[in-house]
Amino acid sequence: MWLLLKYTLLYAAVLTLVALGGMFSERSGVINIALEGIMVVGGLMGVVTINLLNAWGVPAFLGVIIAVLSSALAGLLYSSLLAFSAINLKADQTIGGTALNLLATALAMVIAKRINGSDSPKIVYSTNSNKVFNSANFSFRVGPLTLNWFLLVTVLVLIAAWFILYRSRFGMRLMACGEHPQAADSVGINVYKMRWAGVLMSGALGGIGGMAYIVPAVGEWNFEMGVAGMGFLALAVMIFGQWKPLNIAAAALFFAVFRAMANIYDSFGFLARLGWPKEIYNMMPFVASMVVLAFTSKSSRAPKAEGIPYDKGSR
Amino acid sequence: MADYVIEMLNITKEFPGIKANDDVTLQLRRGEIHALLGENGAGKSTLMSVLFGLYQPESGIIKKDGQVVKINNPNDATALHIGMVHQHFKLVECFTVLDNIILGAEPTKGLTVDRKAARKRVVALSERYGLKVDPDAKIEDISVGMQQRVEILKMLYRDNEILIFDEPTAVLTPQEIDELMEIMRSFKKEGKSILFITHKLAEIKAVADRCSVLRKGKYMGTVEVADTSVEEMSRLMVGRDVQLVSHKEEQTPGKVILRVENMTVPSRVHSNNAVKNASLEVREGEIVCLAGIEGNGQTEFVYALTGLEKMSAGKIYLDGKDVTHASIRERNSLGLSHIPEDRHKHGLVLDYTLQNNMVLQRFREPEFQRLGFIREGAVREYSDRLSQQYDVRSGQGSATITRSMSGGNQQKAIVAREIDQNPQLLIAVQPTRGLDVGAIEYIHKQIIAQRDAGKAVLLVSLELDEVMNLSDRILVMYEGEIVGEFNPKTTDVQTLGLYMAGAKRAE
Amino acid sequence: MAKKNKSPRLSGAPTGLASLLASLVCVLAGLAFGFVVLLILGGITMSQSGEEFTFGHLLATTWEQGFKPIVQGGFYSKANMMGMAVRMEILQAAPLIMTGLSVAFAYKTGLFNIGAAGQYTVGAFLALYCAIVLKMPWWVCLIASGLGGAVWGAIPGIFKAYLNVNEVITAIMFNWIGLYAVNPLIYQGGNGPMFNLKTTKTFTLKESAPQALLPTFNVNVGGKGYFGKLFMPTIGIFIAIGIAVLIWVVINKTTFGYQLKACGFNKNAARYAGINEKTNIVLSMTIAGALAGIGAGLFYLSGSKEWEPLVSTILPAVGFNGISVALLASSNPIGCVFSAIFISHITVGGGFMTAKLFPSEVSDIISGVVIYLCAFSMLFRGKILKLFNRKSGTQRKGDKA
Repeated sequence: MWLLLKYTLLYAAVLTLVALGGMFSERSGVINIALEGIMVVGGLMGVVTINLLNAWGVPAFLGVIIAVLSSALAGLLYSSLLAFSAINLKADQTIGGTALNLLATALAMVIAKRINGSDSPKIVYSTNSNKVFNSANFSFRVGPLTLNWFLLVTVLVLIAAWFILYRSRFGMRLMACGEHPQAADSVGINVYKMRWAGVLMSGALGGIGGMAYIVPAVGEWNFEMGVAGMGFLALAVMIFGQWKPLNIAAAALFFAVFRAMANIYDSFGFLARLGWPKEIYNMMPFVASMVVLAFTSKSSRAPKAEGIPYDKGSR
Repeated sequence: MADYVIEMLNITKEFPGIKANDDVTLQLRRGEIHALLGENGAGKSTLMSVLFGLYQPESGIIKKDGQVVKINNPNDATALHIGMVHQHFKLVECFTVLDNIILGAEPTKGLTVDRKAARKRVVALSERYGLKVDPDAKIEDISVGMQQRVEILKMLYRDNEILIFDEPTAVLTPQEIDELMEIMRSFKKEGKSILFITHKLAEIKAVADRCSVLRKGKYMGTVEVADTSVEEMSRLMVGRDVQLVSHKEEQTPGKVILRVENMTVPSRVHSNNAVKNASLEVREGEIVCLAGIEGNGQTEFVYALTGLEKMSAGKIYLDGKDVTHASIRERNSLGLSHIPEDRHKHGLVLDYTLQNNMVLQRFREPEFQRLGFIREGAVREYSDRLSQQYDVRSGQGSATITRSMSGGNQQKAIVAREIDQNPQLLIAVQPTRGLDVGAIEYIHKQIIAQRDAGKAVLLVSLELDEVMNLSDRILVMYEGEIVGEFNPKTTDVQTLGLYMAGAKRAE
Repeated sequence: MAKKNKSPRLSGAPTGLASLLASLVCVLAGLAFGFVVLLILGGITMSQSGEEFTFGHLLATTWEQGFKPIVQGGFYSKANMMGMAVRMEILQAAPLIMTGLSVAFAYKTGLFNIGAAGQYTVGAFLALYCAIVLKMPWWVCLIASGLGGAVWGAIPGIFKAYLNVNEVITAIMFNWIGLYAVNPLIYQGGNGPMFNLKTTKTFTLKESAPQALLPTFNVNVGGKGYFGKLFMPTIGIFIAIGIAVLIWVVINKTTFGYQLKACGFNKNAARYAGINEKTNIVLSMTIAGALAGIGAGLFYLSGSKEWEPLVSTILPAVGFNGISVALLASSNPIGCVFSAIFISHITVGGGFMTAKLFPSEVSDIISGVVIYLCAFSMLFRGKILKLFNRKSGTQRKGDKA
């Protein structure tokens, strides 16, 4: 039971972070399909950083902070490729996003193999009890429940996101750019800058999300898998949450339950007896997403101008 | 030396392939209402967009109070106290009135937007100038008139002294137009200076002090309105004497071709209905016009009539046949042709060649296909014939990509296609919007010819001149209902205006 | 307001040529980028291993062991015993042509078929099932694979047409659903009828279902067969090319194609004209799915590889490479043949690079970069057309609409 809660919160945190990132991007008017790839890049950077910090003997607490910041930075930089293509060159955003997803996995494989010096794309960053620094550094216990620091990060990000979107100047202007960029432009808002900000924010949050997915749960990661579709699940969460922070958090919890079940179904008596192969559980978050989307899409209200490149000169 | 608050000297602004402003000079005196007159495409909006910082001119300078200034973006313009109400409102629909007014100039308290302070100011401004608005309503829920007031308040909120109005009266009833004129006069009394873009001569006569005329991007001259006649201004605008009235012969209408009974169409944005219980008839050999201010249900009426949208109640009969549930294709094959409101959205597949667009509804016919394969030769011949008959000009003939054709020729192509289908009922929605005078004359001639040939024509138009000129009968639509029926010979624009504004309705 | 940029104002042939040139630019840029990546990788490894390290040496090594294999692909001499590598290239090109066609066909209707991988998976499953369990001849299995892909393609189509769910999200979800459905069906706890416990893969077709193998062919070079008996390629490539031509005809010469393109260019105008948008969306996705499914059939019915349900936790890359193929070919079906051969060429070549220095995924990086560039290839196309414009002096006046 506690295990289920642990995994649910873990996945909910990941989904919330990434979906919030997607929200900022789409609210500004840029569709970001590349969240999956950004997560890979962020996760890769985080893992590599941990290994380095391990080797240099950096104290654990500091190491966690540095690793998280580095994953955010990596995600931010990677997302700038999307920003450049979509905003400055006004290219098709879905194609650009797909390209970045493919590129990220390939890059991750190449880098992982390079680091290993072999043909294996797995990166091990913490199994030895010798190492000072391992995935346990990311977790802390509250009674019988194991939580991790990323949950705290998520809650802080969630509060900040709500505040930014609804109470700050920046948020109001950001939303205007995604709804009616001509209106924003006519009152002197720089739509290009705003959209860049939205995409970069999604990059940073996606990067952290990637690390949050890979690191706390396991001690090694095979980068051939990418992030197993979490980035796309986050998109479904964002749509289901109607691009609103609190709704997104709720949606994330909903989907996280399904995802968590895939990890621990064999510890539940009655589920184990059913004898379903683990793939059924793997499938469930995706099936659940489809069911939800089927029912909610008729009344879905996306930011009006999303996906349409903004061209100042167009009349 | 006259006291010019704004001078735009020798402004040239180019877009790819076109000189929108060619060495244009405009001088605005302090405290005057200055009209900018020209046809569609003359360059008026472009010039004002340059003044407002939305575009940068290729050459020329701008002076404020005698000093040369650079206006690189709307912020610069606002800093110089220049404000603009756009023709197509630049309002964020899901935001409130208040948020739209303060967007870009939000007052802050610490990290947050100080909406309380903003609201106080907006309410004060609104009361001072008599501009009634509801600060908490969402733009998508309020009327067009109120939306315009929001745009005006945007300007006042920023303490603008130089106010630019871009075709402000297109969406207003005659009464609302009078109100707007009053507001402009009160601004003038306060010492504000106004630039006012229009192509309507009557309005210029009503309120402007001076008027500058643009034609095809070039500056034609500035006149004192009081000393200049409407005909003279019109000649400057167009370059020749315009035939203001089309010649129409008397016709006797025949049997009823279109009968609509109690049509009700739900609205996509409001919870109300867009069309409420509307009924009408159109007979052979007559032009019936559905008149009204934009946004009163005419669009939805036509969509339901043609099948693009579903009705929630009512019946439609085409030559006696019940087509209420017929598909778009069925209605078309039963003799309904539609010149749509938006030629780029509905009328054409811009990335197709001209010939492919000419057979948009007919490609399935045996004349144009065999066993599922398109007969390209036949399609091209057809397109060539229509182009010749209806004077459709294009760069590479029927193989031209439609996107590269001018608006007038695109519209002529649509008109050709729809008329050549020899319909029983021709529906024409704003068929001359955005076209130059030559194209307008041509299309009017075609529509009258159809009526003379015994077709039923349903015309939907926002231009009262066009309505009065072409119609045999006028039906005024207000808030989804048909509120009055008129004969253009026995009524006038003022009366129509009253009905269009809902101030009056027939019993 | 038009969604795309205002396209350049020319019609027909010059646009086609410009597209071709734009694609070539993307390819060259992608290869150049790949070369730089190889240089960097090589440099890192070599400096770490303490080998003799000058820039000239690095350049030569990268060229010889990294770039040359990629460029020569299956014709890389060191690996090409009895035409084995060329056979591999042909073999991999066929399904890639199909997935490319799948994406291209959907794109013509204005849909982005990112679900080719899932459709491919389901197609593979049905092909293998028909072959191993139902003991059907190859052409029946091939049709079955097409049907499987068709169903899997229809689903995002239906969701989009009738439920307004974005087809990209639906297709992605069903990629994973398909994968997670097919694997346990094959494995069935070790007892699946198609599953060979000893090899942990599906049974080889040679042993269990030889009637389902695609026929092979050989090529005469100087009086001798170019391919050794073991390495003869199947007719799959010809089937794929034939289907590509068929698709080209359908899109450009039929009323069906006319309707699909109209929907893709302007769905509002298509509606106005009485074209049934919903039906066309579903049909288009269904056909796209069938194409991807047939791709799987062509690959697995060649008998060269088996499906490994326990290892395949990732979606078949060929599904996503189909996107590269389609974009590179500007969604032109005939172009897909060439771009598929190109991508399969560099992928096979990538496998021959010295693995110690250069991981084979570099070819995937090149693919990814090419797609990224294709996203704004319209920009290239516009610039190239402007060059044409200026040269032939046909600058035109703009729209006044």
